[in-house]
Amino acid sequence: MKKQTTATSKSPATVLGSEDSFRLLVESVKDYAIIMLDPTGHVATWNAGAERFKGYRAGEIIGKHFSCFYPPEAIQRGLPDQELKTAAKDGRFEDEGWRVRKDGKQFWANVIISALRDKDGTLRGYSKVTRDLTERKQAEERIKQQSKEIMELSTPVMQVWQGVVVAPLIGSLDSNRTQQFMERLLGRIVETNSPVALVDIMGVPTIDTQTAQHLIETISAVRLLGAQVVLTGVRPAIAQTLVHLGIDLSNIMTRASLSAGLLVAFDILKLQVVSKDSTH
Amino acid sequence: MASESISVIKLRDLLLVTVPPDPGDETISALQEQVLRAMARHEAKGLVLDISTVQTLDSFFARTVAETVQMVALMGGRTVLAGMRANVAVTATQLGLTVGNALTALDVDRALDLLNAKPSGELRV
Repeated sequence: MKKQTTATSKSPATVLGSEDSFRLLVESVKDYAIIMLDPTGHVATWNAGAERFKGYRAGEIIGKHFSCFYPPEAIQRGLPDQELKTAAKDGRFEDEGWRVRKDGKQFWANVIISALRDKDGTLRGYSKVTRDLTERKQAEERIKQQSKEIMELSTPVMQVWQGVVVAPLIGSLDSNRTQQFMERLLGRIVETNSPVALVDIMGVPTIDTQTAQHLIETISAVRLLGAQVVLTGVRPAIAQTLVHLGIDLSNIMTRASLSAGLLVAFDILKLQVVSKDSTH
Repeated sequence: MASESISVIKLRDLLLVTVPPDPGDETISALQEQVLRAMARHEAKGLVLDISTVQTLDSFFARTVAETVQMVALMGGRTVLAGMRANVAVTATQLGLTVGNALTALDVDRALDLLNAKPSGELRV
């Protein structure tokens, strides 16, 4: 590489010096793999970052085709060549995906390939800058997994009596959760053939117009099935908010507590709770 | 063909109609015609629309059902929609579809209970 630099440049010594220091800069960067490929995609230069991410030493990789950084399925799809073609056509190609280290382990990489052309426009090769984003990728995956788990945890629907299901809502309702909650509630109502569903909002910190709208939507969907909803756990603060926001729930049965709601459910089912003593 | 796939069954003083799984607009219009004719012939006091096999509910279907409910009411009957599927109800709500003043029930059994319960209650009063 050194030979190439000196051979192609006819610049004065001072510029050579700056070129040298530039090369030194690139070679010693550890957080980015910055390498050059020749026009056919063979590795021409290597730096410390590349060695750190990919595990190859400069001596063993220079001259090899860069497709060895890709997992087999990407090679099968012809991804390496496609990337070079796009870079040659558009000047630049950016991608995120799994790449392979020398030891076979994969890492999540952000890759930018740029075409290097001389003054005449002839393609001289490509620069390839790679960052290892495995940690970020893993964190993203973890958050995705956790939010999925939270979603599943937070909307249980239980049958508490023949014909009565209870759905305690905890946290606020966004449109994503509403969809999930609705599907689950309606699914359980059909499954258990329950004409009454108690939706308990004791665990909902505050109600805004959007949450209220979502609740009303859920309740009308339940009605389409032929079941009724009793909204329970309406705390004083929530009652105040609902009135102040002008949200009309007058055609929805509401109760302050779950137990009061259960009595309403019994009433709808024409059931009665009788004390054992009263039979004497 | 559309009208052949629908049968309006008279059950004592009620009418029972099973809506086919994927009703087209023609089928739905034919259904309304047949229901109204049967209402006139039998002087039924109620109509049960069994929609438990219906997979999709579009705006035309919803509107026709809402209209039919009103028409049947004008002829002195009450309508119950029975057995709507959970996913159909979710979609209908999200699309903002309503079925007017139709009563709803989880299944045909409960729909029959619903239609039979009230008049007898009224009689007792």
